[in-house]
Amino acid sequence: MNRVKILFFATLRDGAGCKDAELDLPLGATVADVKTLLAEKFPGLEPAMPSALVSVNREFAFDEDAIPDGAEIALFPPVSGG
Amino acid sequence: MEPLNLPTVFAVTEDELDLNALLDRITLASTGAAAIFTGMVRGQTVRGGEHETVYLEYEAYRPMAEAKMAQVADEIRSRWPSVEGIAIVQRVGRLYPRTPTVLIACTAAHRNTGVFDAARYGIDRLKEIVPVWKKEIGPDGGEWVEGDYIPKPGE
Repeated sequence: MNRVKILFFATLRDGAGCKDAELDLPLGATVADVKTLLAEKFPGLEPAMPSALVSVNREFAFDEDAIPDGAEIALFPPVSGG
Repeated sequence: MEPLNLPTVFAVTEDELDLNALLDRITLASTGAAAIFTGMVRGQTVRGGEHETVYLEYEAYRPMAEAKMAQVADEIRSRWPSVEGIAIVQRVGRLYPRTPTVLIACTAAHRNTGVFDAARYGIDRLKEIVPVWKKEIGPDGGEWVEGDYIPKPGE
């Protein structure tokens, strides 16, 4: 198993009801797998999930990307700073 | 080869933006021009849906935001090699109308070297790839402002 840290921001934090979580991933899991597992664990994420961006170790990541051991994964909406 | 002594300042902060102090940090002996952009909290919005803003609540994924600010600064330097100093600072927390929220400043020897375009690029890019979000609180409640840029692999 690969234990990873999940961070939620903005609408994703509101949907999850918490700002972070830990998740055990099967070896070889991808970003798409993480999204599926989180949607099961946190049903409140559903409305924000389709437009969510994902970062892995502070770089933007995409569905087919593999998750490294002990990764820091963040989910958030498209950015709106400035 | 990029000179190593060119000042680059990037930060996410809860403190008031001190424009003069930031400008001082990116001014060299050879600097003769600075293009400074600062975004502010707009109390009354006319364009789009007309409405009133009581305050904005900003949050950031701080370590990634600062890494992406450094990336924006690198991109500016590769496009405008004449730029001397770069400052990119985003304020977070609860910010009321008339308050500066973000500052992008680029310095150069002369004004006709691309510094205006460099600062413009900096704010446009910050709004695409730097993980900061704002929630707009009006008289009737709050709503997250959602961007529309989807980063590509390698960004």
